[in-house]
Amino acid sequence: MGTPINVTSSNQAILTLGTSESMARPGGTDGLEIPLLQDLTISATPSTVRYSTLDSTSSSAFTTTNENEVSFNMLVDETTMFGTGGSTANSIADDGLFNTSKNKTQIHFSVAFEGKASTDHYWEGVGFIGGLAPTASMDGAVWISPGSIIVNGELTQGNV
Amino acid sequence: MAIRDELKSNLDVSLSGSNVSVSSELPYIVGGETLYNKNMKKLYLDEDNVSKTELIQCLDSFDLIETETTVTGFLSVDAKNQPGDIDTIIANIIDSRNSISNQTIRECEMTTENTDDVITYTFDFRFVTV
Repeated sequence: MGTPINVTSSNQAILTLGTSESMARPGGTDGLEIPLLQDLTISATPSTVRYSTLDSTSSSAFTTTNENEVSFNMLVDETTMFGTGGSTANSIADDGLFNTSKNKTQIHFSVAFEGKASTDHYWEGVGFIGGLAPTASMDGAVWISPGSIIVNGELTQGNV
Repeated sequence: MAIRDELKSNLDVSLSGSNVSVSSELPYIVGGETLYNKNMKKLYLDEDNVSKTELIQCLDSFDLIETETTVTGFLSVDAKNQPGDIDTIIANIIDSRNSISNQTIRECEMTTENTDDVITYTFDFRFVTV
């Protein structure tokens, strides 16, 4: 019988951003862990092309390239969205998500599935931040924004 | 400061000079009779009733909490001979909901009940904040 990965306790599903591969790994030094995530989705999808032949009643397919994306919804955290304004090793934390998106800066990221303890699994890659669309209403009375990372290349699996 | 206290402070001002005053006592029962029926033309405000619910849960265990507070007010007057300014009094009581700041919802529902020659106005205030 399988065992689901339980995210009830905090710090299990973690999105970390950094300017280098090691920084962006779960628990990486100077990595920016995105706080207040409501949900986190990783799409790892091979693109396919379908075609039909005269001798078959069903269509066939072949794969082309992988299209990968990380998407999330979050409550807007002031420091994360607007940046610290500092000058640290992690320019993403300094500049904030909006400026990093606006400047089209390529970032490294990881998505931790089980936390950041030894042997915990994660996926990592590089990409561009997009999809920011902060929304405020009196229903929730806080700013909420979707966001995404358009992955440039492949996702890679790793262990902390 | 409890919302009841804020409402009372506002109503002390808005009802001054009218035929109705605001009691600092809670609407308890004495000898089988509620205070607002015993002391007519006095508005009684009950204690805050507070309910907290989780509005949004985050993966890092942050919970956005919504707080709903309800307060009930009672006012009884002679049904045969209502105060001449009763309409203004009721409007001021209902409008006192606007004196509570930092709320996403500020509502007041007024209902009436007639018992013998006494009409009792019940004001159900509801406030929601995050």
